[in-house]
Formats: sequence, structure tokens, C-alpha cells
Amino acid sequence: MSQWTEEMRTYRVGDVLPSVTKTITQAKINRYAEASGDHNPLHLDPAFAATTPFGGTIAHGMLVLAYVSEMMTAAFGPAWLRGGRFKVRFRGAARPGDRVTASGRIVRDEGGKIFCDVECRNQADELLVSGDGEVGIR
Amino acid sequence: MTLSLAALPKGHEFVETRIKLTSEWVAGYVRSVEDDAIGSVVEFGFPPLALAACSIRALLDQAALPDGAIHVGQELSFSLNRDTESEGVARARVASRGERQGWVLMGIELSVESESGAVMMSGRATITFPVSGGPAG
Repeated sequence: MSQWTEEMRTYRVGDVLPSVTKTITQAKINRYAEASGDHNPLHLDPAFAATTPFGGTIAHGMLVLAYVSEMMTAAFGPAWLRGGRFKVRFRGAARPGDRVTASGRIVRDEGGKIFCDVECRNQADELLVSGDGEVGIR
Repeated sequence: MTLSLAALPKGHEFVETRIKLTSEWVAGYVRSVEDDAIGSVVEFGFPPLALAACSIRALLDQAALPDGAIHVGQELSFSLNRDTESEGVARARVASRGERQGWVLMGIELSVESESGAVMMSGRATITFPVSGGPAG
């Protein structure tokens, strides 16, 4: 991947951020559990998960949220890491086999502080995550 | 035996924990989330959510999530720079706890400060789990 350069970026209210799409698999969920130490059987144990209202395993919320962060990193580069903020609600579950797309749109610019709506949806257009992000670019 | 989060009252403060994002752990994290963008900002050693995941991992060593716990909300802000250390001190407390219709709703505030005292990350996770602390559903 090439180095991110600030000079080539301009931001306007209404701009749509380049989306990020990933396919959830049980192997990916297992890998995230290993990295995060979150071994909740809701994510890892199909027999247990079948007894829950979800009826099967689901991805960690923080795994899905990482796709939003990747989108913000791609859009805003170092500014996102220097001073990013977000607030989201998890609205639905991402399941193995789901194709999850993180998307966002700039809704406000307050003197170089950019505010975005962000969300994640699955291939059926069901809302999984919604919220807002904020990043200072100047 | 690790305590369960289900047993913790509002106001409970977790023991401060020193965390270290080793290059090996970061590589495993980045692989697990398939972050294709972080490589474009190579002066930063790790994605911001890696810091959150690492600090949550440290908390889970002190109090395990009840089986079937569901993550319902997350607030996070971070302040990293190219000099940001890959070590820090994680702090957390149970900021809120309520019960409704057989489910506990718990808010946990967490932060990570660098060795020099700069706040690298702060936020709040909201989770829910059955009052029994056992399997959901």
C-alpha cells in the first residue's frame, strides 16, 4: 500500500467516504477472539450460540467496528489516528457468511473538525452499526 | 478463578494494568481485522482499535464476560502520534449498571495513558447480559 499523503485530500460536506467491505467467516471470528482475548461462546461455540436469540455465532462488535476505523483511516489518514472519535450503537449481528460494508458521509465541517455519519450494513442491507465519527483535519 | 463481570457493582474499579502492544500481537490483530489501510500511515505503529482491543483483553483477565454478553454500544476517542509509545497503563471502572426485563445493562469506562501520562485512548463500552449471568435466551 502506498504512503498516505495529506496534500491530495479535500473534504466537503456531503462527500461519501470510500467504503470498506469484508466477508465475515467463523475463522476470522476465531482469529479476532484469539487477538482480543474475548472468548465469549456467543462468538465461538455454535452449540451455545444456537440457544441464544441469535440462533448461531455472531462476530464481535469490535471486529465489525474495526472496518469503520479502517474506512476512516483510508479517508483521513494520520488525522484519524491523531485525534479521531466515534460513538456507535450495534444494531444487528454480523454472522459468518455475511458481507459487511462500512460506509460514511461527511455531514458537517466546523472549522476543520469534520463530522461524519458512519454505518455498517450486511448484504441484505440490514443495519448492523450506526453512529457518528469526528476527526480534526487542520 | 476469574471473576465474572456480572458480579461487579457500579463504581467497581479494575486494577490498573500495564499493557504492551508487541509487534507480534499487533501483526496478529491487523491480520484478524484485515486492516488494509493502516499500512498507508506507517509512522503509526498500530491501528487505534488495536489499543482498545489490547486494553479490553487486559480487563478480561480480571473479569470474564458472562456467556452470551452482547456489545450494544461503543464510544472511543484516541490521540496517537508518531511518537506514541506502544506501552501504556489501562484503567477501567463500571460507570453504570442497571437491570431491565431480566437483562443487565452495564457501562464500562476505560482509558489508556502512556508512560508519560498522555491520554492515548478513552471511551465507554456498553454491554448487556442476562441477569443470571448465564446463557442468553
